[in-house]
Amino acid sequence: MSKPNVTRVKQTSGSTSISSLLYSQKIAPYVFVLPFIISFSVFFAYPVVSAFIMSFQEIVPGSSKFIGFDNYKELWNPTFFKAIKNSTVYTALTLLLLIPIPLVLAAFLNSKVMIFKNFFRSTLFIPALTSVVVAGTIFRLAFGELDGSLMNTFITALGLEKQRWLGDRWLGLMTLLILACWRWMGINMLYFMAGLQNISKEVYESAEIDGANTWKKFTNITVPLLKPITIYVFTISIYGGYAMFTESYMLWSGNRSPKDIGLTMVGYLYRSGWEQNNLGLGAAVGIVLLAITFIITFVQLNLFGLFKKEE
Amino acid sequence: MKTAEETKWSLNRVLLLLLFTALAIFALFPIITLAIASFKPAQELLRNGLNLSLDKELLTLSNYTNLFSPKENYVTWYKNSVLITFTFTVLCLLLSSMVGYALAVYKFRFRNFLFVLVLIIMAVPLEIIMLPMYKLAISFHLINNMWGVILPFVVAPLPIFFFRQYAGGLPRDFLDAARVDGCTEYGIFFKIMMPLMAPAFSSMAILQALASWNNFLWPLIVLNSTNKLTIPIGLSTLLTPYGNNYKILIAGSVFAIIPVLIVFVFFQKYFIEGMTAGGVKG
Amino acid sequence: MRKKSLSLLSVSLVMTLALSACGGNNANNTANNAGKATNEGSGNTAPTTAKATKVEFWTFQQLHAEFYTEMVKRWNAANPDKTIELVANVSPYDDVHNKLLVALQSGSGAPDFADIEISKFPNYIKGEPQLLPLNDIIDPELDNLVKARFDIYAKEGNYYGIDYHVGASVIYYNKEILDKAGVNADDIKTWDDFAKAGKVVLDKTGIPMTTLETSEQWSMWLQTAQLPSKDDLLKADGTPNLDGPEVTQVMKWQQEQMKSGVAVGAPGGFHHAEEYFGFMGKGGAASVWMPLWYMGRFTDSMPDLKGKMVIRPMPAWSAGEPRSAGMGGTATVITNQTKSEDIVKQFLSFAKLSKEGSLATWTILGFDPLRSDVWNDPAMKATNKFTEYFGSNIFDVLTEVKDEIEGINIGEKTPQVIDAIKTQSNVRILLDNEDTEKVLKDVNSGLK
Repeated sequence: MSKPNVTRVKQTSGSTSISSLLYSQKIAPYVFVLPFIISFSVFFAYPVVSAFIMSFQEIVPGSSKFIGFDNYKELWNPTFFKAIKNSTVYTALTLLLLIPIPLVLAAFLNSKVMIFKNFFRSTLFIPALTSVVVAGTIFRLAFGELDGSLMNTFITALGLEKQRWLGDRWLGLMTLLILACWRWMGINMLYFMAGLQNISKEVYESAEIDGANTWKKFTNITVPLLKPITIYVFTISIYGGYAMFTESYMLWSGNRSPKDIGLTMVGYLYRSGWEQNNLGLGAAVGIVLLAITFIITFVQLNLFGLFKKEE
Repeated sequence: MKTAEETKWSLNRVLLLLLFTALAIFALFPIITLAIASFKPAQELLRNGLNLSLDKELLTLSNYTNLFSPKENYVTWYKNSVLITFTFTVLCLLLSSMVGYALAVYKFRFRNFLFVLVLIIMAVPLEIIMLPMYKLAISFHLINNMWGVILPFVVAPLPIFFFRQYAGGLPRDFLDAARVDGCTEYGIFFKIMMPLMAPAFSSMAILQALASWNNFLWPLIVLNSTNKLTIPIGLSTLLTPYGNNYKILIAGSVFAIIPVLIVFVFFQKYFIEGMTAGGVKG
Repeated sequence: MRKKSLSLLSVSLVMTLALSACGGNNANNTANNAGKATNEGSGNTAPTTAKATKVEFWTFQQLHAEFYTEMVKRWNAANPDKTIELVANVSPYDDVHNKLLVALQSGSGAPDFADIEISKFPNYIKGEPQLLPLNDIIDPELDNLVKARFDIYAKEGNYYGIDYHVGASVIYYNKEILDKAGVNADDIKTWDDFAKAGKVVLDKTGIPMTTLETSEQWSMWLQTAQLPSKDDLLKADGTPNLDGPEVTQVMKWQQEQMKSGVAVGAPGGFHHAEEYFGFMGKGGAASVWMPLWYMGRFTDSMPDLKGKMVIRPMPAWSAGEPRSAGMGGTATVITNQTKSEDIVKQFLSFAKLSKEGSLATWTILGFDPLRSDVWNDPAMKATNKFTEYFGSNIFDVLTEVKDEIEGINIGEKTPQVIDAIKTQSNVRILLDNEDTEKVLKDVNSGLK
């Protein structure tokens, strides 16, 4: 069906001049992606290559020198392992929370029985409007360790003991997750909502005629048809999870969580590269982080077959 | 038939309403406490922490009058933020949708390679490349200049990825039909695909405006002068290890939510319209 | 519906354009805007003089920008032939340090002069310092200055920074609570006395005597630094000293106070946390030892304690031993990228090292001046918000301990050591009650 048309376009526009070459179907995609290629090579490829080179250097003003793999060797320490572990656990848990829940919520909001859709959609999105700086400050105050803090008043009213929320490994992680859910739930829901608009009503209607119940419709129609959006949300969540730093930084008002319970990989990068002015070591952390996300992306692409899904 | 359906689902409706009300409370609670705090003297926050108490005697507008007093730079920051966010969002949506569309619709060499590059960019936190990026910005004279904030990130991987996913899900028959009608490749994009991708545009407009409005790390590096700063950076200059200026910080952050809220409400309407427009295609 | 939204869009477009028109033409507009736009820092101080030298200054502290703005005014009045136009930029704390680091590293983009906080300072003197040595302006005045405050910003005999204050540490007692317990602050001479008095306070009032920082270094660093030994967190040679006898002694003492309830962990983990301010402001603990610049936290964040707090010298570890240490601080440095070295140096000397400048650090900023010869100056007795809060004896306490202010060791390892204290040693010793010596050995060995 499509092939004859392609040749036809070529015939009509291909013969006149160079400008028509620009209009040809062969060249057009390259014109479309040109901004990306330019921006990629200038603002990305060059900086990443220099970061890679830096990771093999000891960077001291006036006398930087290459030191082979020393920076990478220095990374073989318990604090860095802790940072990797923290980032991985955080990422995994955000994936578990921030994909299924917003998906279901989006389906609920989209359903016929739901009312006040606009109101709820806006409300759930509002947390995303606050900057991390402010959100972190609010949560730090709300999860304070004193009797009178918001969370402690809440759980003591439920008859539980007051907690040092930010002093315990799991409670601290939980606080980070609550903050993440609070901020991102609405955004992810919006993504899924956008995806749901693409599924035509007829598909559901014909399924209803076939006697499918709500659950069947959800698992057999909604979830599979939302796959492209889900892959998207999944991917950005992985990167977002591994790049998490500001939340932790604001929650503990600095890179100083007790026993590093809130230390993330970027936090470690920040600490070694900037706070301790060891830019070579910081660059090495960055390269390791890059390698981890590459591996995950690679696995994920193969798993979902992102390249094969055409036609 | 409709009424039958409505009565049948009424229990579900109540349950859903309860669920969403609970979620709405969870979402709004911190913001409400913040908004309340913005009408109280800053000392109250230190004295009693965040709380919901509304003591009439304590309520004051002084935090807000302070915000707009000529002594503070808040209004300047606000203008800068609006200008940067608007320019960034418009350019970003245009360029990124072009790239995302091409990656989804055309088959050309390097297509998969380019797509992998997009994914890779997403994976790199700015902190890693901050030093070389800063050197670049200096050599391109982008320091202390709004284009320095905008240009390096205007072709953003996230919207490219999103537009690719979205365009990939659209029916292709349109394209061929348009070509038969003599439409150019660019005409197809601007006249046919862009309207079809309206829901994607409106949600990306919201998200990119939001990201730009709250963007922190890079503008911080690029902007120096106090009168060139954007809101998040200006506000965080009020947080110092030697004491925080809560007066401006809290009222300033509450007020900063408003423009993004307007963008959201505005595009959300369009979002719904885009949805019904999408229905026409069938 | 659609028309409405379109018109809304065009309105917002027009508005943005209008806004951009105001913000865009900077060259012409900054002068008009300067009044409202920047802090007075962008220096309309001498608009008429044509040849004012333009100087850029970076800081993280609005107050410091205001200080230099005021000093530029005075300088221009006194030196009409070489006036200065100051552009003072205030950025967030961490970022101004990072940005300066990058600018110095890459050889361009740095301001003429800038503030660097002490715990970040070692990062800037690694390798070849990209800062100008200030010996030519410091050396002539050194006899009148508290020398220890310059040594911390020195490398190989060169002074690279000038602080704002001495940062002499003192102890702040809540007199109301002590009175309730029948304890007299003047009777507390040593830390042993302090612990005993603490028990009395705890028994009689149920209030802990003090708070200890679990995610910051000040409370343990001060106690370590005041010891007569040359070593504190770092040995005199710059190697980490967390497992040395000084830190061990301090942390053992602190752990005991935590066990007995005389001390509690500072709510929020440190003495600048919002939670701590709330806790202390309500009379949550009877004392805290911090440098003199901490007065500003009391006046700004704990207003309820006004008139209740008294300032005393810190207890000594043994009678007759030093009772203070100069702690914390922010150095103003001149970068090697400045194009007006001479005038910036002269100005800095005027603003910070001269008698007038030293007095101004007290009158404008409320800091203990670097020149000890002004501490007896009548100007120091004039009332201000600090004397109103703490009483008029602030500088009497300082002159009393004048010769007992111990210096600290600052070196390339300082940021790493402080990180380890913030995240590891204090938590494990004070909150988790682990064995002090073992923890300190552990942590110190991790620092190599």
